[in-house]
Amino acid sequence: MNSLRVVCYLNQFFGQLGGEDKAGVGPQAVKGAVGPARAVEQALGGAGTVVATVRCGDNYVAEQTDKAVAELLALVAAERPDLVVAGPAFLAGRYGVACGALCAAVQAELGIPAITGMHGENPGVDLYRRQVYIVETGAEAGRMLAEVGRLVALGLKLVRGEPLGPPAAEGYFARGVTRHVLAERNAAERAVAMLTAKLAGRPFASEVPLPDFPRIPAPRLLKTLEGATIALVTDGGLVPQGNPDGIEPLNATRYGGYSIEGKAGLDAGQYDNVHRGYDTTYVKQDPHRLVPVDVARELEEQGAIGKLHETVYSTTGVATTLAHSARMGREIADKLRQAGVDAVILTST
Amino acid sequence: MRLRLELRRSQVNALTAASATRLAGQRLDVDVDGLRAVLEGDPRLARLRIDLVHPGERCRIGRVFDVVAPRAKLDGSDFPGVLGPVARAGDGVTLALDGVSIVLTDQQAEHAAMLAVIDMAGPTAALSTFGRTHNVVISAWPAAGMGRAEYLAAVRLAGLKTAVHLAQAAREAEPDAVQVFELPSPARVPAELAHLPRVAYVFQIHSHQRPTGVDEGILYGDPVRRMVPTILHPNEILDGAVLRGFMGRNATTWAIQNHPVIRALYAEHGRTLWFTGVVVTVAHATEPERVRSAFMAADLVAHVLGADGALLTKIGGGAPHVDMAQAAAQCEALGVKTTLIVEDMSTDGSAEGMLLFDFPGMDALVNVGSGQHRLPFPAMERVVGADDLAMKLGGEMNATYGTLCGAIEQIGATNVMAVVE
Repeated sequence: MNSLRVVCYLNQFFGQLGGEDKAGVGPQAVKGAVGPARAVEQALGGAGTVVATVRCGDNYVAEQTDKAVAELLALVAAERPDLVVAGPAFLAGRYGVACGALCAAVQAELGIPAITGMHGENPGVDLYRRQVYIVETGAEAGRMLAEVGRLVALGLKLVRGEPLGPPAAEGYFARGVTRHVLAERNAAERAVAMLTAKLAGRPFASEVPLPDFPRIPAPRLLKTLEGATIALVTDGGLVPQGNPDGIEPLNATRYGGYSIEGKAGLDAGQYDNVHRGYDTTYVKQDPHRLVPVDVARELEEQGAIGKLHETVYSTTGVATTLAHSARMGREIADKLRQAGVDAVILTST
Repeated sequence: MRLRLELRRSQVNALTAASATRLAGQRLDVDVDGLRAVLEGDPRLARLRIDLVHPGERCRIGRVFDVVAPRAKLDGSDFPGVLGPVARAGDGVTLALDGVSIVLTDQQAEHAAMLAVIDMAGPTAALSTFGRTHNVVISAWPAAGMGRAEYLAAVRLAGLKTAVHLAQAAREAEPDAVQVFELPSPARVPAELAHLPRVAYVFQIHSHQRPTGVDEGILYGDPVRRMVPTILHPNEILDGAVLRGFMGRNATTWAIQNHPVIRALYAEHGRTLWFTGVVVTVAHATEPERVRSAFMAADLVAHVLGADGALLTKIGGGAPHVDMAQAAAQCEALGVKTTLIVEDMSTDGSAEGMLLFDFPGMDALVNVGSGQHRLPFPAMERVVGADDLAMKLGGEMNATYGTLCGAIEQIGATNVMAVVE
C-alpha cells in the first residue's frame, strides 16, 4: 500500500497557539505535524505521513459548531487524506465534542475513516460513540505516546478494512451497534451452557446487553376529569382510507393527526389499518376497538370529561426504532400541549 | 413404560435421478416420475415440478416456503394428524436421511420478495444449513380459485409425502448411526442423579399474529387456535408431532424435526442437568390469552415439572418475543431460572433496539442475530423454483440474513449471532 496521507486535528492548546486566551481562534491548517501530531507521525512508522495539522480554538467550535465544522472539513478535504486523527482530547469537554463532530463529518462527507480518543467522562463520548471510533484515554496527557499509538493502530485497521476485535480488546468505546459473527456452537448449545452456569451460580455473559430504558413516571392530572381536555392517541395503526400520510406498516418514521370534528364515532368504511404486527381483522371491522371515539363522545356528552380533543394521532408501533419512537412521541406531545390537552388515552395493541 | 425413539440415520452424499428410488450406499437414487405419481392427484394443485440441486452448483432456489427432513416410521403413523392418522409420535423406530433436504416453494405468493432463497454455492451457501445439503425441490402451482391456506396445506402435504417416500428407501439399509432418545417420566429420577438441576424447555410453536388456517396442522394436525400451554414429551417433537405453521420467518420444519434445543438438553441429560420435558405454548393476539398463557406455562414448569431452570424460545415477530419474555418473567417470579434465545429485534442495527422487553431477572440471553442485517448475495447461473423471478433473482442481490433460508433459525439451530461493538 502507498504511504498513507494523514491529517491531524488539534485545539489551540495542543496545536501550540496558546491557552484559553487563544480559544477564539478560527480554523487553520499548517503543513506537517505539530505537537501531538508528531506522536501520530511516529506511531505511523513507515505506514504514512502526517501531511497537515488542522487546528482551531475550542470556543470557536463550541459557539458555532456547524459553521466551524464546515470550515474545518474544507481544510481537511484540501489535503486529500486517507485518515483523520483528532485529538486525543482526554477530559477536555469542548475539545472532545469538536473532535467527535469533525470525525463524524469527515466520515459522512469525505467517506474516509476518522478516529479520536477521549476519557470516558468527556461529553464527546456519549455524543459521538455511535458514529465514531473513540479510543479510551486517561484524563490527562500523561501517557500521550502510548495512547496515540493505540489510536493510530486502530485507525490503520480502519483504513485497511481489517476486522476490528470487540471494544474491550481494541480499547475503544462500544459504539452500540451490532455486527454478525459466526459462533463456534449453535445458539441452542450456547443457551444450555448459559442456563447450567446460571443454575450453578457460575458467571456467564449474556449475549444481549441488558436494557437501560429510562423510567418515565406518569404525570399527575392537575385538574378534575370533568374540566379536562382528553386526547386519543394510538400506535395501533389506524389510518383514514388511502393512508394519506404514508405511515409505514412497520419500522415507522411517520405519524398522522386525523380530525374527528363533528364525528360521533369512527365509520369503519372511512378507515383502514396498516399495522403489520397483529391481526387487524377486528379493528378493521370496528375501529372503536382500537380508538374509542364513540365512548369518549358519550363521556363528553355526559360531562364526565371536559372535552374530547378533535385530533386523533396515530402511528404503527411495530419494529419502530427507539430513536423514532422518542421523536414522534415528543412531537405529538408538543402538539397536544400547544392545543391545551390535559391528558391522553394511549391505546396500544 | 417410557417413550423410546430410535432414529436410524443414513448419510446421503450423492443424489441422482434414476429409474427406481433406492439408497445405494450413500447415494440416493430418486425415480422422479415415480415420486411425481405419489404427489399428483391432489385437487388443490394444478401442476407439479421436481428439481434436484446439489451443493457447489451455482444455483439459487427462489420462493422458498419451508424445508422438511426425510423421515419415515418403520412401523407407525408418519407426521400423525397431518399425513398419517392421529397417533402418538415419539416411540419406536424412525428412518432418517441426512445430507438431503426437501425444499418446498410457494408459487402463489404475490409478494415474492417476502419469500426466502437458498444458495447452493459461494459464501451464502456456507451460511445456510440447506446450502450444504442435496435438495429435492418441490414446486406446485395452485388449482384455479384455490385459497392461500388450502394451497399451502397442499404444498406442505406434498413435502411430507416426499419426506416419507425418500426415507423409506433406507428401510433395508444399514444405518450410519443409531440415536436413541429415551426420557423417563419427570417424577422418576434415580436417587444418585437427584442432585442435578431440573430443566424444562418452553417451546413457543406458533404466533397468532396471523390466524391459522383450518388445514394448518401444527400440533398433531391441530391448528392450535385456542391452545393453552401443554406438556409434551420431547420425543414427540423430534418425531413429527409438531410442524411449523405456514408463516415461517426464520424458522423451518426441518429445524423442528432436528430440534436443536431438545438435542442439546438430551446431550446434557443425566450429566449436568435433568431434562424434565417440554411445555409447548403459542403466542396470542389478545391480552387475557397472553397473560393466561404466561402464568400457565410458568405453573407447568415450576409446579408440575418441578423444574429449577427453563429455556425458552419464540417463533414469529415482535409480539411473540414479548410473550416469551412474559412467560420467562413468570418463571423467574416462581424461582425458576431462565435463559432465552432471542432474535436481535433492532431495525437500525442499534444495541438499544435489540430487545422489546425489560423484565427483572432476564439476564441470560442468547441471540441468533437479526434477520434484517444486510447480506450480499452473489450472482448465480440458474434459478430453480421461481421461473417468473429468474431475471431478478439470478443476479447479485443486496438483501438480508432473513432472505437466506437456513441462515437464522429462531429455535437456535444456527451459529450466526449479533455482537455489540
